[in-house]
Amino acid sequence: MLYRQRFGLAVLISFALPLANMSSVGAGEPGYCPLEGAEYYSVELVTTKNIPGTGLATGRADLSNPASSPFSVGISQDGSYEYSVHVSLERMKIPTAGRLVAWVTTRELDQIERLGPLDEKLRASGKVGWNKFLVVITLEADNDPEQSMWVGPIVFRGVSRSGMMHTMVGHGALQQENCAAYGYAS
Amino acid sequence: MMHTPPTLITRVTGYCLTVVAAAALAGPLTAQSEMPGMDMSGGWRMVPMDPNMIMLPGLAGAVPIVGAFLPGEGINPANFPEAEPSQVVEMVDGDTLDIEVSIVRRSLNGHEIVMFGYNRQYPGPLIRAPKDATLIVRVRNEIELPTTIHWHGVRLANEFDGVPGVTQEAIQRGESFLYEVHVPDAGMFWYHPHAREDVQQDLGLFGNLLVTSPNPNYYGPVHREEILVLDDILMDEQGALPWGESAPTHALMGRFGNVMMVNGETDHQLSAKKGEVVRFFLTNVANSRTFNVTFGGAQVKLIASDVGRFEREVWVESVVIAPAERYVVDVRFEEPGTTLIANSIQAINHFRGEFYPHVDTLSIVTVSTETAAPGISDSFDSLRVHDEIAVELEPYRPHLNREPDYELEATLRVQDLPPAIVLSMEADTLFFPPMEWNDAMPVMNWLSTGDQVTWILKDRDTGAENADIDWNFKVGDLVKMRIFNSPDSFHPMNHPIHIHGQRFLVTAMDGAENQNLAWKDTAIVPVGSSMDLLVEMSNPGEWMLHCHIAEHLSAGMMFSFTVQEQ
Repeated sequence: MLYRQRFGLAVLISFALPLANMSSVGAGEPGYCPLEGAEYYSVELVTTKNIPGTGLATGRADLSNPASSPFSVGISQDGSYEYSVHVSLERMKIPTAGRLVAWVTTRELDQIERLGPLDEKLRASGKVGWNKFLVVITLEADNDPEQSMWVGPIVFRGVSRSGMMHTMVGHGALQQENCAAYGYAS
Repeated sequence: MMHTPPTLITRVTGYCLTVVAAAALAGPLTAQSEMPGMDMSGGWRMVPMDPNMIMLPGLAGAVPIVGAFLPGEGINPANFPEAEPSQVVEMVDGDTLDIEVSIVRRSLNGHEIVMFGYNRQYPGPLIRAPKDATLIVRVRNEIELPTTIHWHGVRLANEFDGVPGVTQEAIQRGESFLYEVHVPDAGMFWYHPHAREDVQQDLGLFGNLLVTSPNPNYYGPVHREEILVLDDILMDEQGALPWGESAPTHALMGRFGNVMMVNGETDHQLSAKKGEVVRFFLTNVANSRTFNVTFGGAQVKLIASDVGRFEREVWVESVVIAPAERYVVDVRFEEPGTTLIANSIQAINHFRGEFYPHVDTLSIVTVSTETAAPGISDSFDSLRVHDEIAVELEPYRPHLNREPDYELEATLRVQDLPPAIVLSMEADTLFFPPMEWNDAMPVMNWLSTGDQVTWILKDRDTGAENADIDWNFKVGDLVKMRIFNSPDSFHPMNHPIHIHGQRFLVTAMDGAENQNLAWKDTAIVPVGSSMDLLVEMSNPGEWMLHCHIAEHLSAGMMFSFTVQEQ
């Protein structure tokens, strides 16, 4: 019984100690402990397994209200959400050649913005100003700040949570609707 | 092709099954475009909708479970006096103002409709008074609903806070109440009923109280000042849509209007000279709508909020203003021609699963070629840093980052909603926007009443909810609160949280420290976010804390706490 209590205490301490240090760690930093509900503003990055060493890798992009916003929520002039994006990869073998680069893009891929190269801790940060978007990590030949579109293989990708909001046309109870009337192929 | 986690597959499959189940339950779809404006049972009329929207199965012909209410129903609107634009009332310490709450006639969007008014004005009289004045306001109620006046943001004596059942009995028709309004803070405040706000405020009962500072340099120089009271109202081809008689409709999302108003007008216009710097005092009096106010291409400087100035002035592209919030901005109009003040949002079309840009013009500013004098560009171009605010805030800084003393969780509970709504809403939990900028589900929202929806503030330490929360403080206490807006509830939604009688600082959002503080009394918590407040308990009495979406408040999202003298 005593052993169980001590074991339980040790487990508690082992969890509590790192947690106590995490409060000052920012999103995307090692040891970051997001607040409750943060999963609502987190994009899961899923590996494509396109390059060696990524089979078991995981990743995420955490979104937060930009520090520059004086309001509770960052909104642009056209009403789009503005977020700071913090990308982090785990359990990832760093490629021996090339640079991992983080991008954000609209779902239509008609606009692409380069967040920047991942650092040695496999972190990158930047901003995004779209409501629905993808986060893409690619392996580029080098770190070219002028590069406007990736050319290397996609290593990770994820969709903003708002991407889960999808059309109901031709779907379920609404399948008898004429999809073409709403701009979709029937 | 995206790689989809198994959990998501499960949830989406569940969604499909649920929607199919709803269809099986309820029969054929209804073309929404046939319905708006249609007379229905119980005095209801079908709520307006985008004609491209589809009504969910099972909702055709349904009406709210409560009776319909329209003021002066059955009486020719011409029998009521026509309301007039707001007038400025300059008051000094000890002055008395009589306010009559009465039925008025308004012409809105081509309709003669019956509304309410303070002294038959829209908005109510703009009261201007110096800081530290005490104003006497005698309120007489001549409408059929019991009412009060709450002096929003003013740290006045508790007995005059205007909360029925807490600080006073509601003023019945034909009765009066004498308010003693002491104004210890400079800034833009407002007044409104604290009884069935969803009806009375929506029908025009609101006005501003501008408290001026003795410091002539409190704000920077401008050419002139303008008041912008932002509002919306829900109308169809016959006029204003009825409100719920015994409980509010639109309890899920609040009643969004489809007609925008500034200072009670649907066609608000201003003129300005080239280079003119105008100070705008913005107040959002809408039941539920948060505005994203843009000023065309004009430069916008944010200088103050509810109960005071920001530590540092900042440039902004737009002003995000939630219900009951106030912001003060200086705007320079440089380009001759027309500048639109607009509400610029990304609305949601749930049917298509899309965001789409939507702009409503709030006001048209005509800028002439005549140059404004004197030239004040130099002062406008600089951003002031208020050292005196930094000094004032010094005693509070040690408390900004400490752990919260109290934690509230915002959530909701529903009962007896139509099955089609429950099934659809339970399936629709994969994504809710942090902020609701438009009513993307008008019928479901309309059908949900305060009798079926309970919005909840839960004390996470005790589990107590709403009126059962028992918080007691002493004057001088600095209380750290964390308000978490749970994304996992039946229908999460942003909540503008208002605290009566005290002032607070928003110290952090989602753990990120606020670097530019201003005293506030209302602040919005987006879905899934945590907002940390440092509340200065400076004013004794029993005070309310509640969501300022009028329908959420009426659906239970409130409680009172006490502050005792030391």
